[in-house]
Amino acid sequence: MSWITRLFAGWTGLVLLFFYLPIAILILFSFNESRLNIQWTGFTLDWYVKLWRDHVLMRAVKNSLIVATCATVVSVVLGTAGAWLLHRYRYRAAGLLETLVFLPMIVPEVILGVSLLILFVQIGLQLGYTTIVISHVTFCFPFVMAAVQARLAGLDPSLEEAALDLGATPLQAFFKVLVPYLMPAIVSGALMAFTLSLDDLIVTYFTASARTATLPLVIFGKVKKGLDPSLNAISTVLIGVTVLALFVTEALRKRNS
Amino acid sequence: MRQGATGFTAAAGTQRAPGRVGTLLLAPLVAWALLFVVAPAAIMLVYSFLERGTLGGVLWERATLENYAGVGNPVYLRIVLRSILYAGITTALCLAAGYPVAYLIGRANLRYRNLLLMAVMIPFWTSFLIRTYAWVTILKSQGFLNSSLLALGLIDQPFEMLYTPGAVIVGLVYTFLPFMILPIFTSVEKLDGALIEAALDLGAGPLRAFSRVIVPLTSPGISAGVLLVFVPALGIYAVNDILGGGRVDMIGNIIENQIKGNARNWPFGAALGTALLFSFAVAYYYVNRRQRVAEGRA
Amino acid sequence: MRRFEWMRWMAVAAFAALAACGGEEKPAAPAEGAASPAEPPAGGELNLFAWSEYLPQGVIDEFTAESGIVVNYEQYASNEEMLAKLTSGAVAYDLVQPSEYTVEAMVKEGLLLPLDKTKLLNLKNIGQEYYGRAHDPELTYSVPYMQGTVGIVANTEKIKQPVTSYAEVFQAKHEGRIVVLDDSREVVGWALASLGLDANDVTPENLEKAKPVLAKWLPLVKVYDSDSPKTALLNGDVDLGVVWSGEGAILINEGGGKFSYTLPSDGAHMFIDSLAIPKGAQNLAAAHQFIDYLLRPEVSVKISADFPYTNPNVEARKLLSEAERANAASYPPGSPKLTTFKDLGAAAADVDKLFTDMKAQSGS
Repeated sequence: MSWITRLFAGWTGLVLLFFYLPIAILILFSFNESRLNIQWTGFTLDWYVKLWRDHVLMRAVKNSLIVATCATVVSVVLGTAGAWLLHRYRYRAAGLLETLVFLPMIVPEVILGVSLLILFVQIGLQLGYTTIVISHVTFCFPFVMAAVQARLAGLDPSLEEAALDLGATPLQAFFKVLVPYLMPAIVSGALMAFTLSLDDLIVTYFTASARTATLPLVIFGKVKKGLDPSLNAISTVLIGVTVLALFVTEALRKRNS
Repeated sequence: MRQGATGFTAAAGTQRAPGRVGTLLLAPLVAWALLFVVAPAAIMLVYSFLERGTLGGVLWERATLENYAGVGNPVYLRIVLRSILYAGITTALCLAAGYPVAYLIGRANLRYRNLLLMAVMIPFWTSFLIRTYAWVTILKSQGFLNSSLLALGLIDQPFEMLYTPGAVIVGLVYTFLPFMILPIFTSVEKLDGALIEAALDLGAGPLRAFSRVIVPLTSPGISAGVLLVFVPALGIYAVNDILGGGRVDMIGNIIENQIKGNARNWPFGAALGTALLFSFAVAYYYVNRRQRVAEGRA
Repeated sequence: MRRFEWMRWMAVAAFAALAACGGEEKPAAPAEGAASPAEPPAGGELNLFAWSEYLPQGVIDEFTAESGIVVNYEQYASNEEMLAKLTSGAVAYDLVQPSEYTVEAMVKEGLLLPLDKTKLLNLKNIGQEYYGRAHDPELTYSVPYMQGTVGIVANTEKIKQPVTSYAEVFQAKHEGRIVVLDDSREVVGWALASLGLDANDVTPENLEKAKPVLAKWLPLVKVYDSDSPKTALLNGDVDLGVVWSGEGAILINEGGGKFSYTLPSDGAHMFIDSLAIPKGAQNLAAAHQFIDYLLRPEVSVKISADFPYTNPNVEARKLLSEAERANAASYPPGSPKLTTFKDLGAAAADVDKLFTDMKAQSGS
């Protein structure tokens, strides 16, 4: 299998190059002197300074992170629970429920946004963090559920039996055997949910309030004037923080093991 | 008996009947689905039968079918077909490009696997708008790609890449590739190495082992990936708007126009959305049913 | 499991750091470092719903610093988006910023409150030519914020001959070098104007007449962009455009002197974006105070500096620099033929359908 593996590794390298080309460009242009992201005119750190002082943008970043974290947590809980229940029990309406759950992924965002807005108004829910998180969870948790379901489909029951035979209670078996088994799916679903929530624009437009405006909303507002490099700067910072966190985690893990 | 609420002793392929606990545990999910999925969809459905209000919105005076008549108009059908074409091409390309990546990550050892997953996801934590505009910078006539090709002497005139259907496809593939990689990865990850070895032991060359054993085994991941790319790609409007120069209108653009644009025709947008939704709900239900039968859950 | 624990702590730490520097909405924390009183807000809150990137944040911050009123600034990118969220009733907006034809529609539907002119002492700064317009003749409901036109921009290095009418823009030799607004009312309006018809006269017969014009024009268009058409022009991907005057002004300022802005001789669209108070506004006092604040000449010039449209405030115009006043896009010379848009009601859908159809037929 090794020549196939090597071929795939090379291909993955190319795909990653493809992924990171725009990222490299946007990082590069965050240091560009010119306001318009068109030509390189000179190196400067001005945009990072401007970013630091831009309280609206920084608040938007904070909002985005809060919303994404909450939405991911709720999505993981709902999605994992849903996937597991549907796997464990034979519900008569299973097919219908699954279709319903995946519906928000099919509905065009504009319509989902407007419908949810109307719904919130009807039930008297004020626009804010709650409404945004609810809207995000609605289209995020199907991803977690799908990932966990795919993994559950290959679950070997003898695993669980073995745990129970060795004296574990059903609850212990659940958390010590099932959850670790599901972890890759949960992580991949959670990653997807977090990403989707962080980047959502349309549905958020209809369900957010001025104070809870997220980053995509603020960025979209700036398109008209031209996306100035402070927006590149914030993206660079976000990436930087994530990569740093990764390195630190890896280093710590190496030390522990 | 060591069977508690978690009912762990059922064997694969058999499921228990829910009972009270099972039904109770499912209640939150059902409540969520009813409140935040069914209700908005119902609103959309109801709106599609009403008339447009003067300022957008709807009038509650009478019901009408004229919005659905509008859906059948050749102007919009042409755009629907185009959307299906672009979504289809995007899905195919994502599958071809993403499968090897997903396979590699799935078979890698734990440390590399998580790093690679993060490597795949990190670009998507930047804003979608900024990423897409970065592609504008790359593809434009004085952009990165053209400048590099000119410098390398591979071309002598800038190649027109931006504001073409090709640019739209590049943007779409870029946007949706992770949606293909992640589901396939979860399928690959749980592949039993022993099965692959067995196939090879029994004389299959790597290529045959791949196509006859591995790919079919990962089919749940492939189906999930295809669904997760094709359907949202149909509703997209920002990527094609920016990279296609506004010339590649898709269903998403039309619907957006009805609600956020000059047309102020919400019922028509709702009708288009309902038609889209209905076709896919039906298709999904049947595909899902087959899948559940295959997995022994139906 | 330990790895995930560390990641969680990392995330919490990063998040806390960002939260700390994100800063709360202190009403007195403007970026420019103006004098900032640290008292809690005195005048309540103002729910402002305005176009994105049309109001400098600095102006808002200074207003808050001076009045103590916290401004909740929500943005939209089209009149229809504004109407969608406004009419849903989800938020009680105190101030909105509709275009002229939307003002007309909103007045008809009773969605706007009449202004209390006793609170708008600076209203006298608005030029006389803004009275007597069809959408709000006496400025009862709306105060002009910025005015603009839609005209022809040309890269004079590539386009040697002057382009002064729609027909001259849409010639075969310019194929693939044109950017236009992605707006059905605009483009169809130009087609009608080129035929000598009124852009607001969208009867089915006139739309039929516009069809062949569009069929000839649209295949020549490279880019449709209402958000930032200047990008394609600055990139050199196109050389000619029919765009907003504000975009034209920025091109003149930042394009290295090679861009020109001309109003089409067949007739151009003049738009007036105004401030208005919707029915259901909670803080009328703050709304009036904000409008009056924006009407101050020294504040108005700051808006012009960032958004070089035509400033309706004659006192502010006196404070503009030479260069700003000379900008042909901001202040078009001569007496061009200008039309404002009227509310089309249901006919807007027909216009949109025609445009979508012709776009699809001409495209890929």
